[in-house]
Amino acid sequence: MAPAPSLPIHPPNGPVNGDASKQPPQGRSSQKSMTKAERRELQEKQRAAKAAAKAGGPVNGAPSKQAAKPTPQATAAATPKRPTKSNEAPAPTASALRTQTAARARAASVSVPTPANARGLRIFSHFGLPKPVSVAKGDIHPTILRLALQFSEFKITDYATPPNNTLSRHLMTYLSPQISHLVAARPMSVTMGNAIRQLKLEISGSDIDLPEQDAKDALCQKIDNYIRDRIIIADQVIEETAGNKIKDGDVILTYARSSVVQKVLLGAHAEGRQFSVIVVDSRPMLEGKRLLSVLASAGIQCTYILLPALGAIITEVTLVLVGAHSIHSNGAVYSRAGTALVAMMAKLHSVPVVVCCETYKYSETVQLDSFTKNELAPQGDLFSSFPSVKARDSLTLENDEHLEILNPLYDLTPPNCITAVVTEVGVIPPNSIGSIPVALGRLL
Amino acid sequence: MASEASSSKGEFDIYQTYRKILDDEEMSPPLAAILSLSQLMVESNAGTMFELVKELHDGAEELKRHTTNPISLNAGCELFIAFVTLFPHESDSFAELKTELVKQGQKYAKEAISYRNKIAELMLDFIKDDSVILTHSYSRVVMRALLHAHKTKRISVYVTEARPRGLGVKTHEVLTAVGIPCTVVLDSAVAYVMDKVDFVLVGSEAVVESGGLINAVGSNQMAIIAKAAHKPFYALAESYKFHRLFPLSQYDLPTHNPSILSFPSLPPRPFVTPPTTSGVSPPIAKSGIDESLNVTPTSSSERSMSAEMTAKNPDVDYTRPDLISLVFSDVGILTPEAISQYLVAMFAG
Repeated sequence: MAPAPSLPIHPPNGPVNGDASKQPPQGRSSQKSMTKAERRELQEKQRAAKAAAKAGGPVNGAPSKQAAKPTPQATAAATPKRPTKSNEAPAPTASALRTQTAARARAASVSVPTPANARGLRIFSHFGLPKPVSVAKGDIHPTILRLALQFSEFKITDYATPPNNTLSRHLMTYLSPQISHLVAARPMSVTMGNAIRQLKLEISGSDIDLPEQDAKDALCQKIDNYIRDRIIIADQVIEETAGNKIKDGDVILTYARSSVVQKVLLGAHAEGRQFSVIVVDSRPMLEGKRLLSVLASAGIQCTYILLPALGAIITEVTLVLVGAHSIHSNGAVYSRAGTALVAMMAKLHSVPVVVCCETYKYSETVQLDSFTKNELAPQGDLFSSFPSVKARDSLTLENDEHLEILNPLYDLTPPNCITAVVTEVGVIPPNSIGSIPVALGRLL
Repeated sequence: MASEASSSKGEFDIYQTYRKILDDEEMSPPLAAILSLSQLMVESNAGTMFELVKELHDGAEELKRHTTNPISLNAGCELFIAFVTLFPHESDSFAELKTELVKQGQKYAKEAISYRNKIAELMLDFIKDDSVILTHSYSRVVMRALLHAHKTKRISVYVTEARPRGLGVKTHEVLTAVGIPCTVVLDSAVAYVMDKVDFVLVGSEAVVESGGLINAVGSNQMAIIAKAAHKPFYALAESYKFHRLFPLSQYDLPTHNPSILSFPSLPPRPFVTPPTTSGVSPPIAKSGIDESLNVTPTSSSERSMSAEMTAKNPDVDYTRPDLISLVFSDVGILTPEAISQYLVAMFAG
C-alpha cells in the first residue's frame, strides 16, 4: 500500500530558510569567472528561492527529494473526497497519465543550503520542477479537485466527468482555471491537450441561441461522441487491423503494459490464432505483471522477462507490438521508458516493430529526444499489488545525501526503428505520420 | 479489345475476358483487371449500388483465384472498386450510373496506357549522357523509359538474368535490336558490377503503403547492394500499381506461404554414438541422405535447379522504403514517404 500522505503545515510568510537561498554565493565576481557548475548552482538557488517565496513551501526537515512521496496539501482538507487507495496499475487511457508527484514536496527543501543537495538532479530539474498544488482558488469544481488528486496519486483508470456540468454561462472562462488546476497537478500531456482543444472547439461552435440545458446536453453528447469515436471505436479498429498482422506460430514481444496491445492480443487469441507472447517488464512500475496475468488467464502462452534479458531472447521474436503515450509529426513515438531500447534492439535483428496508437494521441509537434519533456515516476513501489516475500519498503531505494533517484517515465523511440504505426485510419509508415490530419479530415 | 468470352453456361466469365485482354502486349494485369471488371458491370443485372459492389468483389476474388501472384491484380481491382464506391451518384437511374461507371472505367484504362510515356518523360532528366544503368528482369515501363532516353542520349545498360524465368534475356534482345549496348549480368554478379553503374532502375509489380516496392525476386538484393555502394535506386510505377498493402517483412507478403524456402523432411538419421575423443565423426550419415533425394547427377559441367527446387523459391520480393531513392510515377516523382500520403488521400474516406 502507498504510504499515507502527510499534511505539512504552511507558514504563511514563506519558509524560514528562504532567506538563506537569497544570499549570493561567496566571492561572486562576474558570471563568467564562475565555472559552469557554480553558475548552475546559482541558477538553481535562485529558482528555488522564487518558487519558495511563491509557494510558501512546506517546511519539512526532509532532505531534498526531487521525486518525493505524494503529499497532497491544503486541498486535501478542502475536499471531503479522498482518493481511494486502489493499487491498480494505471492503464494509459485518455487521461490516465502519471502525475508529477514531485510536484508536491519539493519547493523550499531544495533551498536548504547544502550544495550537494541543491545540485541533485539539476539536469533533469526541468521536468522534476515541482509545482505544489495550490489552495483551490475560487470555484474549482470538486470533480476537478478529485481528478487532480487522482492524477497525483497515479490512480486514474477511468476518464472522469469533464468539467462542464456547471450552471455558469461563461463556460470557457470557467474552464480555464479548472484546466490550469489540472495542469498544476500534472504536466499537460498530448492527449489531454487534444481532448481539451476539441472541447473548446465544440464550446465555441455551439449555438448561442440554444437554451442552456440543451447546449449543455449537446456538449455532453459531443464529449461522449469523442470518447466513443476516438477512443473506444478506435481501439476496436486497431484491434482488428493489428490482429490481422498476427500469424500462426508468431512469437510476439510486448513491453510493459499497453491497453491497446492487450486488446489486440486477446482479440487475436479469441479468433483462434496460435501465437505466444513474451512480456518484457522493467522497474519501478512493473506494469507487465498485470498484462501477464490477463494474458495467461486467457490461455495465451506467455514468457516474462525483465528488460536486461532482452538480448538473450530477441532472436526468437517475430513481431514486436507496443503501445504509445503519444506520436509526433516527425514519426517519433513517445512511450513508456524502455520502449526505445526494445525498438532499437528489434531493428538490429530485423524484427518488425508495430506501434498501436489511436489518433487522439497524435501531436503536431516534433520531438527529437526524451530529454526536453518527460515526467518522473513517483518513489516507492506503489504499483505492485502482488505478494512479495520481503517487506516492500526494503526493496525501494531512497534518496539520501549522496544518492538521487531518477526514474523518467517516458522515452522517445526514433522513427527509423519503427516499421509501422497502426491507427484507426490505417497502417501508416512512421515517416508519413504527418498525413494523419489529412486522413482524419476526411472522416470528420 | 474487350471481347466477351462466355463459358459453356452462357454466363460472363471474367477470367476468360481477363486473359483475352492480356493478350495485348501493352496491357498489364491491373489494367486488364479494371477492364474486365468494367465488362462485368456491363453484363451485370445489379439493381442497387450495394449489389453491384458485391458483384465486383466477387469478380475480383474470381480473378485472384486463378493467379499465383495476385498482388498487382489486387491493386487494380481495389482501385476500381474504390472508384466505383466513391463516384458521385448524380444520375437518377441506376442504369445511367452504371453506364457512366463503365465509360469511366474504359476511359481510365485507355488513359493509363499513356502513363508509361509520362513516366519515361519524367525519367529523362535523371539520365545523363553516357549513363550506365543497371536494371532487373523485364519491365515494360523501364523499356519505355530507356527507349525514350536513347533517342536523345547515349546510354548503356546492364540487365540481370532474373532467374528462374530468365526475362533479363528478353530485355537484352529488345535493347540490342534498338542499338543500345546491353550486357546480361548474372544475378550473383550484381555486387561485382555495382561500382561500374551510375544508377539502378527497376519496374514494379506494386508499390505499397509503407513506400516499399514489390517486384521480381532479386530487386531487394539489388537495392541493398545499391545502398551499400551509394548508388541511387529508382523505381518506376504507374499509379494504378499503388496498393494499400503493408508488408512488415518478406514473410508478410500475400505471396509467401510455408512451402517457400522450406526444408525437405528427411528420414531420420540412424543414431550414431558420438566419438569420445575429438576424432572425426563417422561418415555414416552422408550415404543415407544421398539415397533419399532425387538427385540425378548431370554429366554436363553446368547444373541447374530442378522444377521442384525452383518451386520452393519466391517469385517476388519486398524492398524496404529506406532503400529506395525515388519512385517515378504518372502522378509525379515521389519519395517513399509520399506514397503513403498519396494512398491515404486516395483511399481514405
